[in-house]
Amino acid sequence: MIWEVFRQERRKDYYVHAGNVHAPNRELAEQFAQVMHARRKPANSLWVVPRAEISEVDSDDERVAMGGSTQKEYRWATNYSTDETFAEEIADSQREQEAAEAERDRQATSGRSDASGGDS
Amino acid sequence: MDIDTVKRRAGPREFGPTDDMPREYREAATRMIQFHANSEIMGAYVERPFVRQAPSLDRKLAVSAQVQDEIGHGQLLYRAAENLGVKTREEMLDELAAGDGKFLNCFHYPLSDWYELPMIMFFVDGAAMRRQATLKRTSWEPYAHAMDKICFEEGFHIKHGEDILRELATGTRRDRERLQEAFEKWWPRILQFFGPTDDRSTHSDFSMAVGLKTMSNDDLRNAFLNAYLPKAEKYGLEIPEYPRVEYHTDEDYYEVYEEDLDWDEFFTVARNEFPMGKGQIAKRRRAEEAVEWVREAIEGETAAPAGTATAEGD
Repeated sequence: MIWEVFRQERRKDYYVHAGNVHAPNRELAEQFAQVMHARRKPANSLWVVPRAEISEVDSDDERVAMGGSTQKEYRWATNYSTDETFAEEIADSQREQEAAEAERDRQATSGRSDASGGDS
Repeated sequence: MDIDTVKRRAGPREFGPTDDMPREYREAATRMIQFHANSEIMGAYVERPFVRQAPSLDRKLAVSAQVQDEIGHGQLLYRAAENLGVKTREEMLDELAAGDGKFLNCFHYPLSDWYELPMIMFFVDGAAMRRQATLKRTSWEPYAHAMDKICFEEGFHIKHGEDILRELATGTRRDRERLQEAFEKWWPRILQFFGPTDDRSTHSDFSMAVGLKTMSNDDLRNAFLNAYLPKAEKYGLEIPEYPRVEYHTDEDYYEVYEEDLDWDEFFTVARNEFPMGKGQIAKRRRAEEAVEWVREAIEGETAAPAGTATAEGD
């Protein structure tokens, strides 16, 4: 049986997928997870989850369009030309959106070279 | 954990569902997050009519995206509140429908036309955003996590709100007059957004002491006026003489004259007894009842819910 392992590096961090382990039961899964994923890399806490309990939605799946298949510029702060710098929290929000947008663009361009088109 | 320990350890994202939190903390956090969640939902209902009334397709798309976001924020926050083990999401939604759930003063007033929309989308959402940014440092971690996502999305809302404001402020003379009228109607409510000055509320001190709140309402109001009053002026909006707001240069502080504001109305609103607010609550309740069949159809399908199987069940 496969168990997926999520590692939290430091207290207050989000849990990030670290990998998986084979184990016949929960107790051993927890032990193997520690050995495999928390021995050298810094870890504060682990989540160990039976793979069968995880539902996956993949962007390649039939009828799935992550982020939609239509243009949605209107959803982004960057689409509006008013000045965001008058308030720190608005500027922060826009910076985060810009980073997410850039990442999406990057994935869309790199995806095109190795796959059959993609959704974008 | 006892209250003294909570107060000593209080800090950003310090406590989560695995900590054994005292009842007093869990109740204070529930009260605060439930209020916040209710406000997201009721705010969405204030903006919703403008999905239909938007003057262009671009605006229609953006307004519907915002309404959708706000409902999503409400859902995130009910989850963060539910984690405290005091109330379930259903209980909180029932309280909202019954008129027992409290929410922000500005969302008790329906908007009468498009000119009033930027009063909510720019000024009120801007005030909320200012507050929410400080809550990324709240001590209840699930609340802070919800805030990460909310603040990420909210920048679009405020900028779209300002875009509408700018469009109207640079429109015809009639546009500008109607915008000024809308501003004068909303300005006192916006000033009351952060409650009375020198907040005497008993909840406030405790929430600060245990790190749920990280900034007082007075400081938030001041920070809000610092950023948004110049914006109003930039767009040619005339700040009404009353209620008086006086800037003290030496202390970089805006003094709001309490006696110029209608606190009877504010507290009537806060108790959910204001007629317009009752109308908004009833409107949402009717919408909830109207889609009861959808929930029944969905819940009927999941007779065998996923996620209940044990590891051995594989």
